[in-house]
Order: sequence, then structure tokens, then C-alpha cells
Amino acid sequence: MPTLISPSERDYILRGVETNIRADGRGRHDLRQITFETGIISQCSGSARCRLGEGTDVLVGVKVEIGDIEIDGAEEDFGGKKAKRGKVICSVECSPIASQQFAGRAAEDYNNELAQILDHVFNGPQGGINLEKLCIIPGQQCWIVYIDALVLDYAGNILDTIFVTTRAALFNTRVPKTSVQENEGIMEIEVFDDVDQAERIVGWDQVPIAVTLNKIGSRHIIDATPLEELTTEAKILIIVNKKGKLCGIQKSGEGSIEPSLLSEMIQTGRTIGQKMIRVLDDNLQREEAEMNSKRVKGQQFEKLGFFGAT
Amino acid sequence: MNVQFLSPRFSHRKDVDVEMLDGNSDEEQELVTPNLSQSMTLVTPGQLITSDTQFMRGHGTYIAPPERMTSSVAGAVERVNKLISVRPLHTRYTGEIGDLVIGRITEVSQRRWKVDVNSRQDGVLQLSSINLPGGVQRRKTEEDELQIRKFFAEGDLLVAEVHAFFQDGATNLHTRNSKYGKLRNGSFISVPPPLVQRCKTHFHTLSCGIDVTLGLNGYIWVSKHITQSGEEIDPDAIYSNQNELIDDSTREKIARVCNSIHALSQQFMYINDTIISYAYEASLEYHVRDLRKPDIIDAICMEVSAKISLGKAGVL
Repeated sequence: MPTLISPSERDYILRGVETNIRADGRGRHDLRQITFETGIISQCSGSARCRLGEGTDVLVGVKVEIGDIEIDGAEEDFGGKKAKRGKVICSVECSPIASQQFAGRAAEDYNNELAQILDHVFNGPQGGINLEKLCIIPGQQCWIVYIDALVLDYAGNILDTIFVTTRAALFNTRVPKTSVQENEGIMEIEVFDDVDQAERIVGWDQVPIAVTLNKIGSRHIIDATPLEELTTEAKILIIVNKKGKLCGIQKSGEGSIEPSLLSEMIQTGRTIGQKMIRVLDDNLQREEAEMNSKRVKGQQFEKLGFFGAT
Repeated sequence: MNVQFLSPRFSHRKDVDVEMLDGNSDEEQELVTPNLSQSMTLVTPGQLITSDTQFMRGHGTYIAPPERMTSSVAGAVERVNKLISVRPLHTRYTGEIGDLVIGRITEVSQRRWKVDVNSRQDGVLQLSSINLPGGVQRRKTEEDELQIRKFFAEGDLLVAEVHAFFQDGATNLHTRNSKYGKLRNGSFISVPPPLVQRCKTHFHTLSCGIDVTLGLNGYIWVSKHITQSGEEIDPDAIYSNQNELIDDSTREKIARVCNSIHALSQQFMYINDTIISYAYEASLEYHVRDLRKPDIIDAICMEVSAKISLGKAGVL
């Protein structure tokens, strides 16, 4: 995948965006088709993989583990709140097999940047996940949700794909049931291994997704390919949830955006984000219903995983 | 505003028993199952191809003693009369002298450019190997050296020919022909190098009026057709970055051709001008933006392979 672009290609893409005919024939607000599958990693509490068109491929694994609650140094009020909450710890790795630009140490900064964005969103007030419900023993033990994203192939639009895959993985995640008992003054946690008793993460449906809007010329597009990303002057990242509420916004890139275009872009991002969440949820429910119906009938349900699927 | 989510499908390609290759050239397993577009036998490194000694071994194979012809790459087995070779699925481009390639400038040095040609090493284009503007053949001057970026800067796409090889295997390119030089007015697409066949010419104009330049290294340039008449070309403009005006219908045709080529490469079919035209015609019944969807790619490629077999049978 190129990291360089020629002036004539840049001009071609710019004019294409203006006339609403992009290089691959899409309109400005058309997304590539997304192929997804959940529950493909058996060792994780939840997992999902999404492929955007024939390009960007992201695998997300979610693991829930019991850990200590750390209050260290927080002031009284916040410390009090922190004592009753679980945590989300995110990491992103752009694998070198995805693109030559990620080889060696080059991707470290980019990985940290992406992980930070995820962290801010999921640990923040709009993260969706109910962190209070993840607390087991206030002040001592809680569930820690580890979200790990692995980018397996790159064809533009990494961050949006990571968020969509994370949402699918969180839908797929099951937290084992626990019961707390007091035994001679010490609190003991009992974890039930029964898979059927495990619960969904409370608040998974409020988890937001991201829409990246790229400003090219005087218009904006979503779901950019690598060449289009190289032509972008400025980018706006919109984090939006099911209800259409704006959970986060970030501008990057060296260009500038006029205020009127900015509000237009935010509006587009919100509409598209809400639609994506709706369609994703429908498909997640459909996939789960298919799996359950096959299980009830006693039929083999095969996860295609990595090698079987096109 | 189109949003679509899908579940993955099982790939229908059937693998064939390769040991079945026997001497009967006419009884070749024409395993044309409904979903298998070309009768393709895929092998992995180390897999036995045949033990029959009458075959000659080509690229991608080796003889494991005593007499077993084994594949050394992962790819499709090809047989031409008595020659068996394996065409790898993913490989870097290895050039021959005289090959036409499309490259992107990665570095600019004192008297040369480094060009990415999808090979194991960057190719080299020397200042002495290009046509200097001004029409007349002239010696390069120091001024040319200092203004080297006026000709090609980082990121520029160009079409060139392989002139020679250096000791370390890097290709030495040249653009000493009015057909070669900087590319403009179009869109770039990349396919696996083994899919581009060697033909007499690599500059094609499709019947829809779109130019396609097929680089043997897998880089392809799809552009608007520019009618060239020798005297009218402004000799100083051969290094210009200015695109001509491209109207909407041409732009859509370029996108359609790009998507057709992409569909062919997804199904690992050969790419030449005839096959691209077949794919273009097959794609006309779908909307441009739908051409990247897997099921439509399948449909298009099946139609193309049907036309190819009709063509081979002499009907078309």
C-alpha cells in the first residue's frame, strides 16, 4: 500500500470527490461492505473479526479477569467512586503484516495513539459499559475488561473498523457469574464456571462507535481508502452512540475546517454512525439467533474463523 | 448512504488430487464445477505434483529424489504440453529485460531516482535514461541535475521499460520513448504480478474508450483516452502534473474498469485486454459501487470464464 501519492492522482481524487464519483465508484457517504464474525477465539471471553471490503481486517479479543481496585492517590470524592468500579484496559496493535509502514518500531506511536482513543472513550462517562456493575467487592476486587485489537490488514479506515469490531466483541462477551461470601471476616469470591450462567456485559448496547470524516477539497467523505487518506487535508473523528449522542470528537491533520462545514460533518457522522449501529445490531442478533437455533436442533455450528472464510 | 454487514461465506473452490496428472494431455481434468471458474489445481510448498518422469519441470518446482516433482511455492499448477510449472499466488515481481513496468518514485538522489516496482528491491532510473524536455535530443546539463525534481518528484507514477540489471539484482529502467514517462488523467490499481501476461503491447484502449496500461509488475494504470498526434504534443509538457478535464461519464467508466480488474484479481484470473473487456461487459448490469461485493465479483468472473472457454473453442 502506498505511502506516497502523485500530484495527478491527488487531483483526480479531489475532482472525483467533488463530483461524487470516487475512484472505486462509491459516493461520498458510501461505506464498503463489512464482513464480520463473532466468537472465533475460544480462549477469550468474547471476540469478533471484521473485514471492510477486501481490505482492512481487524480482530478484537475481550478478556475479563478479576483484579485489584486501585485508588492510589485519587482525591476523596473520585477515590470513592473509583472504589466501586471496574476498569477497561485497551491495547491496539497494527501488525506489520498489515502494511509495510507498520514494520519495525514505526507503528508504536500510532498504536499508542489508537489505544489512548479507545481508553478515553470506554473509561469515560460515555463509554457505555456499566463500570459499577463490574465491581465485585467495593474497594478490593473488580472485573477488569481487557480489550485487545489486532489490525491484520490495512486498506484505510482503521479506527472505525476497530470500534465496530469492539462493539461486536463486547456483544459476544460473557462475564462469569460470581457470588461473594463472608468467611471469618474475609470476603471470598466464588466464580461459577457454568457457561450458561455467564452474563452479558451490562451496557454493551450503549457502547459508541467511531466515524472518521475526511475533508478533501471542500467536501467530506467517509471510509477512505489509503490513497484517499493521503489526499485528506483534515480529519474529524466522531464518536457517536445508539441514541445519536456525541460521545467524543477529535480533529487531526494539518488542514483547517470552516465552522459551517464542521457542523455539517458532525451531522453526517451522527446519522451514519446511528445507522451503522442499527444495522450492526440487527446482524449480531441474526447471527446469534442462527447459532442458537442450530444448537437447539443439535446441529453442528461451525465458526468459519480465519481459513474457511473468503 | 449505504451500510451493509455480512457474515462470511465458505469458499467453494475444490482442490483437486494433483497426483492424477498423467500423460494423457487430452484427458486433462477439466474440473469445471459450477463454482470453479478455471480448472485450477492449488498446491502448497512440498506437495507432490507428479512422479512421472516424462514432464519437464518449470518455475516453482524442484525434483525431490528419487523422481518426485515437488512444488516449491504456494500457487496454481500450470501445464503447457510437457512443461509443468507452478504460478505462485503472492510473489514479488522479477523482471526480464524489455519488460514494461509502472513504478512510483520513492527517492530522489543526485543523478537518479529510486522507483518502487513491486520487486524485492527498488528499481533505479538514471537521469541519463530519460527524455529531457525540449523535444530535441540534447545532453543533460548541470542545470538539469539541480532541477531534477522538475522531472520526477517523490510519489510520481511513471511507465518505463527494464533496460538492464545491476549486479545486486536491482532493475535499471529507462523511459526513452515517447510512449513512456509520467502518468496522469487516471487511477492506479495493483494486482498480483503473475496475473499480468506478456503481450506484444501493454498499452490498450478498451472499446468503452478507456486506456489501460498493464505493467508486468502488477501495477496497472487506468486512464482517460488521450488522442495523441505527434506534432501537437507540447514537448515541454511531458513532465507536467496537470490533469485534463475528465467528465462524469468517463470518470464512472474508469471506476468501472478499475473494479472489473479488481474482481479478476480477486478470483486470480489472468489479466489482459480481452479479459478486461469481457469483465467490463459483464459488469455493465450492476451499479458501479456494487462491483466490489463478493457475490457480484463471483458472478462477473463466472461469466468471464464462460466467455473465455467459448473463445478457446473457437465459437467467439
